[in-house]
Parts: sequence; structure tokens; C-alpha cells
Amino acid sequence: MQQTDMIRSVTRWARVKSPWVIHFNSGSCNGCDIEILATLTPRYDLERFGVRLEGSPRHADILVCTGAVTRQARESLLRTYEQMPEPKFVVAVGSCAISGGVFQGCYNVIGSIDQVIPVDVYVPGCPPRPQAIIDGIVGLLERLSEREAVS
Amino acid sequence: MTQKFTLPVGPQHPALKEPGHFEFTVEGEIVTGATVRLGYAHRGIEKATEGRNWTQDIYLLERICGICSHVHALAFCLGVEQLAGVTAPPRAQAIRVLVAELERIHSHLLWLGVAAHEAGFDTLFMYAWRDRETVMDALETLTGNRVNYSANLLGGVKCDVTSASASQIYHAVDKLEERTRHYLDVVMNDDLLIQRTRGVGVMTVEQVDQMGVMGPTARASGVMRDIRCIAPYSAYVEFPIQPIVETSGDLQARFIVRVKELFESYRLIRTILDHLPDGDLKTRMPRRIKAGETISRVEAPRGELFYFIKSNGTDTPERVKVRTPTLCNLASVLTLAVGRQVADIPMILVGIDPCFSCNDRAVLLLDQSGERRWTWEKLRQYGIDFYRRQQ
Amino acid sequence: MTLDKMQDRLKIWAEETQTPEANRLDVTITVGNLLAAVAVLKAEGWYLSAITGLDYGHDADRMEVLYHFCFGAETLTLRVSAPHDTPSVPSICHLIPPAVVFERELAEMFGIVVVGIPNSDHLFLPDDWDNRVFPLRKDARLE
Repeated sequence: MQQTDMIRSVTRWARVKSPWVIHFNSGSCNGCDIEILATLTPRYDLERFGVRLEGSPRHADILVCTGAVTRQARESLLRTYEQMPEPKFVVAVGSCAISGGVFQGCYNVIGSIDQVIPVDVYVPGCPPRPQAIIDGIVGLLERLSEREAVS
Repeated sequence: MTQKFTLPVGPQHPALKEPGHFEFTVEGEIVTGATVRLGYAHRGIEKATEGRNWTQDIYLLERICGICSHVHALAFCLGVEQLAGVTAPPRAQAIRVLVAELERIHSHLLWLGVAAHEAGFDTLFMYAWRDRETVMDALETLTGNRVNYSANLLGGVKCDVTSASASQIYHAVDKLEERTRHYLDVVMNDDLLIQRTRGVGVMTVEQVDQMGVMGPTARASGVMRDIRCIAPYSAYVEFPIQPIVETSGDLQARFIVRVKELFESYRLIRTILDHLPDGDLKTRMPRRIKAGETISRVEAPRGELFYFIKSNGTDTPERVKVRTPTLCNLASVLTLAVGRQVADIPMILVGIDPCFSCNDRAVLLLDQSGERRWTWEKLRQYGIDFYRRQQ
Repeated sequence: MTLDKMQDRLKIWAEETQTPEANRLDVTITVGNLLAAVAVLKAEGWYLSAITGLDYGHDADRMEVLYHFCFGAETLTLRVSAPHDTPSVPSICHLIPPAVVFERELAEMFGIVVVGIPNSDHLFLPDDWDNRVFPLRKDARLE
């Protein structure tokens, strides 16, 4: 196997088998955030899919976002996204992250994650259940592995 | 010569899952000053209530906070019913209190896990959150959702207790009570936790009074502030709760109070199910609410939740003012932290059970020798490492 | 101290008193008497539960600040009026230090000047907020 092929294959394996996730709250009520945190606890155990929650954007592959993006959070969201190395992916969790939810039209609310950064996966719900969140992330991983297989 | 640093921490907060911003001024290991900057989760909700009708506002106010969603809706509905001169039927009131206590259980278990994580005790975090699933299941069966239960209507409740849901709740409470005995043993006797909590962050009765502290944080210092007891509302009149009070006023006491409160919640839930009144789930409410002003105070898991509601006689409110318990308790953290060491900040903060989306905050320690930004994770790890070195 | 006794203690400053609901007393006072009234409530063991701002509109030329004090099941509200275009109240922080968060919120939301406030930074509004816009005013122009 050529050197570059091998590196690509190892990288693909590492990225798909063990994606590092960073969580960002852009001003949510916390409902989605506690369900995201629940996915890491024994009943749902997202870690068995190799998903690891990271503290720093510089090491993360996937940005999991909640909230309708308050004005105060917008810049921090952008900075977090910019600090992530390529390739990077974004999962918008919850009605607020998708469309602003009940906070549409509130002053101080931008209204959706995709008005600030590109989003790859939308997980609807208020909040979505942990199974739905896992479904969204696993769906992204499957797309990632397809994409890597093709390249 | 000690150098003065200000350490900024935040706004990303992996452990507490909430964004916010405190500033601590530090000299060496000791905190000399503290302020707070909120705004991260500020969505402009009070303003938004004025542009929506009374019913739409329930859905909005429920989502101030995903952890204490039900008490927000409850405070609002009770207040609006007061203005309209309407009382929800007894069965509805009992179900409201039932859901409120189930919510308190989920909230306290959530907090126990998060607080344990702050202390570096991740096993306890996992156990608490695993056990919490039991009460989430019960809430889902009863109301249709794990979070944001939407049980309240103006004039009553949407969901009824069936024999299936009652049976599930009885089982859940039995199972959780057994687990909670274990948690009480841990918070009272585990060496690691004791090291991080006993004698730490002591608040005297005078400080509680002066700083307007409320909820379990106040009760841990011997101050019996619990709206369910001192000003019973809804079905707490028929189904009274016993106040839980500790006197040592330290972080450990704050752990003990919350764990012991769980037992009271289990007891009350069983009593309500045993004596659930028959009757309607709701009563008629007018679309336009009589002009007037009302105050609605309820006991959220974190302390007194205060609603001031003003009607101008139409189908939309004139003003809804929401004062959450954490805003009051925050001031206590700022005062308490002064004179403490940096390593204690995470635990002192978590001791008030801060609900950021109810208020939205974070922690900053600013370094004046240059801008050295700490993440919350770094501060948390600093605390864990500090105490590990002491062993 | 019960509401009846407090009503008695505050009557030298009270312009008007009302009992809007059971366990509630509203006492209207002038802004000049606010600090004295707060000192009495504090000395008698009442705690400050919240501060509410109300905007009656430019035409009514009136804003009102409500200081809600609680003792057990009872709530006593001090009501202070101010002119709509130049509303101002003194800070009560030297009496009740944690009131600073309530006063910061009042100031940024209503544009009420809180004289002597120890910290006038925004509490909730973003750093780049237009300081001429006060969101909770009835005539606030919000995008």
C-alpha cells in the first residue's frame, strides 16, 4: 500500500471510529444540553460509538450546537468553529438551533445556527431525545465514512 | 511580593453545559474580588411575553429553563389564575405538585452528578445520571415528554394520572429511594467529597440574610426559606412538605440538604398518589384576563421563583417580570469567593446549583501579567489537582 | 413583622397604601424616602426578593419602580414613580449589596438612572448593544 493511501486510511479510521465532539451552547434553555449530556451516560452511552466529548475546538471533528444563537454568543460560536481543523462538521440540536424555536422574533436572538455557520445535520425536537441525538451523530458518521470511502 | 491576577474563565463551560462569565481577581492563590457578566443566554423573554397571548406565553416561559420548566409554567399559570379569580380543580392542583416534585427529583439528581463531576468524582456523576433516567421515564409516561413537560394549562393540567402511570411512578420512587440512601451515605462519608465540601464555602445565617440567599443553599445554613412551607401554594396546602434544614452552612450541608429533600419528595409523591382527588383536570378560563397586578412565588429546585404579572384587561400581558433564584444566589457566590482559594471556586459555584439559562453566567479569572484566559475545564482541573496534592 | 405592623412603621412616608391581594401590601412613597423605607424593612428582617420596572409610556410621563420585600408568606412592595424621560432612583446597594444585579437589569432595560450604583456594566444586554435602546420600554425600537 502506498504511503499516502495508508495515511488516508488510518486518518479515515480515526475520524470515523473515534470522532471528537465539542459541545456549544449558543443561548439555549438547557433542555437540549442536558439531553446531549445524557447521551454520554450509561443508558445511552454514545462513547461506545467511539465518540468522545472534547473541551477544545482545536481537537474536535464535530461541533454539536444548541440554542437560537443570542447576539452575545454569536462571536464565540464563530470563533469556536474557526478554531476547528478541517474537515469539520456541525450538528444543530433542537428546534431553537434549527429555527429559533419559541424564541423566534425575540430581540437578542439571531434565530438559527445556520445563519452563523454551515450545518451538516439537524436534529429536531424540543428537546430531541438522546436516541434522536445519537441517531443524528451516527448518521453523520455514516456519511463521513461514505465520503472517505469515495475519496 | 504577590502579583495581582484577574483570571477569566468561560464562556464555554463543558461541565455545567451553560455559557456565562464571572471575573475573579486573584492574588496568588486567594480571591480578592469577584463580579459577574451575564447575557449569554439572554433571549429577551420578558419583552416577548408582551407580544403573545396568555396561552402562548406558557410555552415561552416554560422554556426559560429546560431543567425547571414546570415551575416556571406553574408560577405563571397560578398568577394568571389569581388575576382572573379562578382556581384550578383539586385534581389538577395535585397533579401540578406531583409533576413539580418529580421535576425536583430530576433536578437534584442532575445537580448531584454535575457537582460530583466538578469534584472529579465521575463515577458518582454516571450513577446519578443513570438513576435519573428512572424519573425521566416516569415523567415521560405521565406527561409525554422527558424535558419540557408542558403539563400546565391556564386553569388546570393537560395530563391525567392513569393506573399505569401511577404504578410506574410508585416503582420509580421505590427504586430511587433505595439509591438515594446510598447517595446520602456518599455525601456524608466519602473521603474525597468530604475533603472538597466539609468546612468549605461556609455561609452564616447573617450572610444568608444579608445576601438574600434562597432555596437549598439557604436551608443548608439553617435558614428555613422554602416557599412550599412558608407560603404553601397549589396542592402544597393539602399535601404539606416538611422543611429540610442543616446548620453547618458549608458545601457539605448543601449536598446533604438536596439529598435529604429527595426523601421528602418521594414521600410526598406517594401521599399524593394515595390520595389523589377525583374530578376535572381543568376549569374554564377567560381569554381576556381582568386588569390587575399579581405576585406568584413558588419553590423551584434552586429556591424561590418570583413572578410579577400585570394585566391590562386584554388577551396579552402588560408586563411579566421573572426573578429566578439563581440571580439572588449568584451574589452569594461573588461574596463568598472573596478570601477563598482559587481551587474552591468551582465547588462554591456549583454549590448554589446555578441555572445559567435561568440567568446565564460564566467565570473569568483575569491575569494582569498578560491576558491569560482559563477555560472552566482548566479551573475545575486546578481544583481537583490542588486537593489531590493535599492528600 | 407582619404587614399591619410594617404598614404602621412606614406610614410617615406612605403616600398611598393598597392591599391588592391577601398577604400583599403596596406602599407608594416618593423617591426621596426610598432609602429610609428600605432601611426599616431591612432592619425588621424583610429580604429583597425582586425589583420590577414598569413603563406607563411617554404620554403618561411616568415610570415606576417596584421594590418587592418578603417576610414569610407576605410581600410588601415599595412603589416609586419617576418622570418618563428622566427617570432616576438612588441605589440601595449600600444597604443591600446583592441588589446590584437587580439595579443593573433595571437600568439597562428601562434606561432608569440608578444613582450611586457600584457597577453600571450591562448585566444581560450584549457588549455591542445600542445604549440608546431600552428593550422593556413600551416605545423601544427593536429589530
